[in-house]
Amino acid sequence: MSVFPATAAAKSAGRRSPTSTARPAPRGQRTAYWFIAPLGLGFAVFYFWPMIQTFYFSFTKFGPFGGHTWTGTDNYARVLRDVTVWQALGNTLIYCGIGLLALPLAIVVAALLNRRGLRGVAVYRALYFVPFVTLPVAVGLVWNWLYSGDFGLLNEILGWFGVDRHYWVSDPSTAVLAIGAVMVWSTTGYYLVIFMAGIKSIPQDYYEAAELDGAGALRRFFTITLPLLSPTLFFASVICMIQSLQTFDLIYIMMGEKNPAVGDTQSVVGLFYKWAFIENAQGAAAALAFLLMLLIAGLTYLQFRLQRKWVHYG
Amino acid sequence: MADTRTDGVRAPVGGGAGASRPPRVNAGSVATHAALSLGALVMVFPFLWQLLTAVKSLAEVSRVPPTFLPDDWNWTSFDEVFTALPFREMLTNSVLATAGRTAGQLVFCSLAAYAFARLRFRGRDVLFGLFLSVLMVPSSLLVLPQYDIIQQFGLLNSTPALFLPGMFSAFGTFLLRQAFLALPRELEEAARIDGAGTFRIFWSIMLPLIRPALAALAVITAMTAWNDLLWPLIVNTDPQTMPISAGLSSLEGQYETNYPVMMAGSLIASLPMLLVYVFLQRHFVQSVAFSGAKG
Amino acid sequence: MHRRTLLCSGLAAASAPVLAACSDEGGSTDAGGRTTLSYGMWDPAQVPGMEQIIAAFEKEHPDIRVRVELTPWANYWTTLKTSMRGGTAPDVFWMNAVNFQLYAAHDVLEPLSEHIERDRTPVDRHPEQLVRLYAYDGTQYGLPKDFDTVGLWYNKALFDKAGIKYPDTSWTWDDLRDAAAELTNPRERVHGFCSEMHRQFVLYPAIHAASGHVLRDGKSGFGDERSIEGLRFLTDMIDRGWSPPQSAMVESTARVRYWSEKAAMVHDLSAMAGQMYAVPALKDHGGVTVLPKGRERTTIIHGLANVISAKSEKKAAAWKFVHFMAGRRAAEIQAKSGVTISSYAGTQDAWLKSMPEFDLRHFLDMEKSAAPYPSSKNTAVWENLQYPLLGAAFSGKGGIEGAARTLGEQMDRALKEERQS
Repeated sequence: MSVFPATAAAKSAGRRSPTSTARPAPRGQRTAYWFIAPLGLGFAVFYFWPMIQTFYFSFTKFGPFGGHTWTGTDNYARVLRDVTVWQALGNTLIYCGIGLLALPLAIVVAALLNRRGLRGVAVYRALYFVPFVTLPVAVGLVWNWLYSGDFGLLNEILGWFGVDRHYWVSDPSTAVLAIGAVMVWSTTGYYLVIFMAGIKSIPQDYYEAAELDGAGALRRFFTITLPLLSPTLFFASVICMIQSLQTFDLIYIMMGEKNPAVGDTQSVVGLFYKWAFIENAQGAAAALAFLLMLLIAGLTYLQFRLQRKWVHYG
Repeated sequence: MADTRTDGVRAPVGGGAGASRPPRVNAGSVATHAALSLGALVMVFPFLWQLLTAVKSLAEVSRVPPTFLPDDWNWTSFDEVFTALPFREMLTNSVLATAGRTAGQLVFCSLAAYAFARLRFRGRDVLFGLFLSVLMVPSSLLVLPQYDIIQQFGLLNSTPALFLPGMFSAFGTFLLRQAFLALPRELEEAARIDGAGTFRIFWSIMLPLIRPALAALAVITAMTAWNDLLWPLIVNTDPQTMPISAGLSSLEGQYETNYPVMMAGSLIASLPMLLVYVFLQRHFVQSVAFSGAKG
Repeated sequence: MHRRTLLCSGLAAASAPVLAACSDEGGSTDAGGRTTLSYGMWDPAQVPGMEQIIAAFEKEHPDIRVRVELTPWANYWTTLKTSMRGGTAPDVFWMNAVNFQLYAAHDVLEPLSEHIERDRTPVDRHPEQLVRLYAYDGTQYGLPKDFDTVGLWYNKALFDKAGIKYPDTSWTWDDLRDAAAELTNPRERVHGFCSEMHRQFVLYPAIHAASGHVLRDGKSGFGDERSIEGLRFLTDMIDRGWSPPQSAMVESTARVRYWSEKAAMVHDLSAMAGQMYAVPALKDHGGVTVLPKGRERTTIIHGLANVISAKSEKKAAAWKFVHFMAGRRAAEIQAKSGVTISSYAGTQDAWLKSMPEFDLRHFLDMEKSAAPYPSSKNTAVWENLQYPLLGAAFSGKGGIEGAARTLGEQMDRALKEERQS
């Protein structure tokens, strides 16, 4: 039995109309392969082959300029023994938890932007897109200024309420949260674009019918928007999980090198990057990456299993 | 039902049912505006900061406590960008790299996504899982072998090197597959009864219906391609073949960075992307309706 | 073509490897018969100066062209390592001490000793410790182009306000401490000093000033009593409130605080003089002198070198360029461009005169007593241990002795692994 939803969709469709493609002709099968072939070829060359090679290298000691010697499972043992890996994993799971908050936020904004008759919708839409075109360095600079312990706006505002100044990004107890907040900020616009597209694919007639039935905005959101958006929402939740489990750039930009909390905020991919590109331990880095992949694959599988309970396909 | 084959897309909301109603002004929409404006301010603030940084002097940029508005509005950084970088060549490279990658993804991903969502064939789920696995490793893990491949093709320091691996995307395939899955099944069945072939159904019925998702994918891919940094720096070391993202990052020094020039350059470089968005958003904010699809 | 052929046959008599290099070049010349070299570097500020040197070089060698390849610092080493595998690495490129031994040990750099001997490259005109930084197993692989020392920068206006004397060449750590106490003004958020957790500017100089060491005979010096004394001098300033804690210097670094007149004294590089000079307040009342004396008066010296890729197909031309870069002419042009101190002795006048308000001479005077930047084959691995382990102690949480000893042990482990690899 498959966990991938197309089967479920095909089955439910099959239930509704017996003439569907439940039993495809062999010719139809061959057509399907033609549809996939171009992408498959590109994947084989640029992703699968490199992945196979790298997987092999994860069992070797890998020289910084090429050349490698077989070391068996040494790299994997090193990864599992290393306490910094487990700490990074803990941080990564926290980032993932915080990162997922971008989804409800983006849905709410997308639904608000979908309110009919709202003036200035186009302006809002353009403004919410702006984080996309903001230079990552500028993002890091502005947030670091907001968070700055001595001169930051956040402390200034909290000071009005008598809260003591705090070094948000250099105190290990708040640094992860501070980074998480920026993460949510930087990804909300991204999911907004996806959700706006999803919402707009919902036939307008449904809303009109519901409105005639006297359904309010909130009810329309929960009975029409949310269920019909669920395939998109499912996509977004899988992608959001995968990407926040691979968080790295933002931490790097926000933390810098000399932050006392740098070890407390490190993510798994951050560690991977350090090993692979700075410390010349490519073999161990590859092992770490494949272990992370195993974790992500497991969680993704789980999501695909669970989707049957909440995702509605056409 | 025959009309579904010609075009499933109806007029956009703007010209349809939505706009014919007069806008309601009530407490609800005031609250909506308040929430959206606050959100927009938070979204735009760093960009605004970038703009203000671009017009400050280098000395003012690195001052504590930081100044919000510049002491003097200094526009010379915008001129400096053009002397510091071969801006026109780099912009051309960026446009080509972005166009190649986006076009590639739209074609390859939509084809595969349709098969994964709508066709049944042996090994489909395994294949799809395999494709998704690409998303699960850090992209920098594959940079070395990908570099070797590009080198074997003799494509180092060329425009195709910039977009070749990026044309194939698991993200795009997954996104479009979900969009296809959300479509009502009846459309396809009707067409099949009418004797349309699989490709015909894909091309003239299904594809137009996922236009919002295609536009969203185009926007996201274009942005990713435009801002891509590590890969271009590795395959194209010759400044003449670099895209603008790589060029801008080379303004970063080991100890100090000329932030005003960097921010000014990034502002100029982001203009084309804003235009692309404004052009494309028309598509993904436009409603799609299924004539007679309800059933 | 004639000139090249002549040159090659002339050199062939002198050395066989060069002949091989010449014949290699047959296929890589352009239509005009000229060889084009690529020259990899990361500092955009130095590009104009380098272009001037290149112009002078091309005038002397009309058959060679040099093209600058600028890669941002953040990606320079990643890009370089990848392109070395594929053979698209620049023919000549910048090298630093942190990475040098790794490259030399993996045979990806062209040995220069024979060339130096044959062409009598004026190696002895460059600081000896610097030249030695770029030798591996007795073979020279790189020739220095510039150097940096760390000096004490101070703000005369803040000193005047506190009514105390400016730092000078007689200063000791006690003087620094006393002045820092006087200069610190919490109400104005001014600190007397910045004990920034920065290895090159602050940590290493303090360790050496206390007669400690970072790395000696393949062993870590962090557990050494003298080294700990140096580090304690720094954290003590933080604990007493005379320096901001590292947690506060994350967003506003020592340099930024000095520029904004919020720090009265900081350690900073000679290479930063130009940027200091561009800040009007500092041009007016900024000053610089030697680092104060602890147990001894010393500083850290580091410089970049030009190296040739072992995979280059144009080694003969590349060597001519590196040789030229190590000479007096190139050094003088570089000094005039004002970014860094040329490493060639006696060519620094132009640099000194370019900022008459600052007494830059001190940076040169410190060269003799300076300790070279410590490095080993995989320097980055043990360097990466430092900040996470020392961070808490530099944030006013105490425990520098324990942190330094732990660091020493972990560094020794890393060095042991490095020897086995």
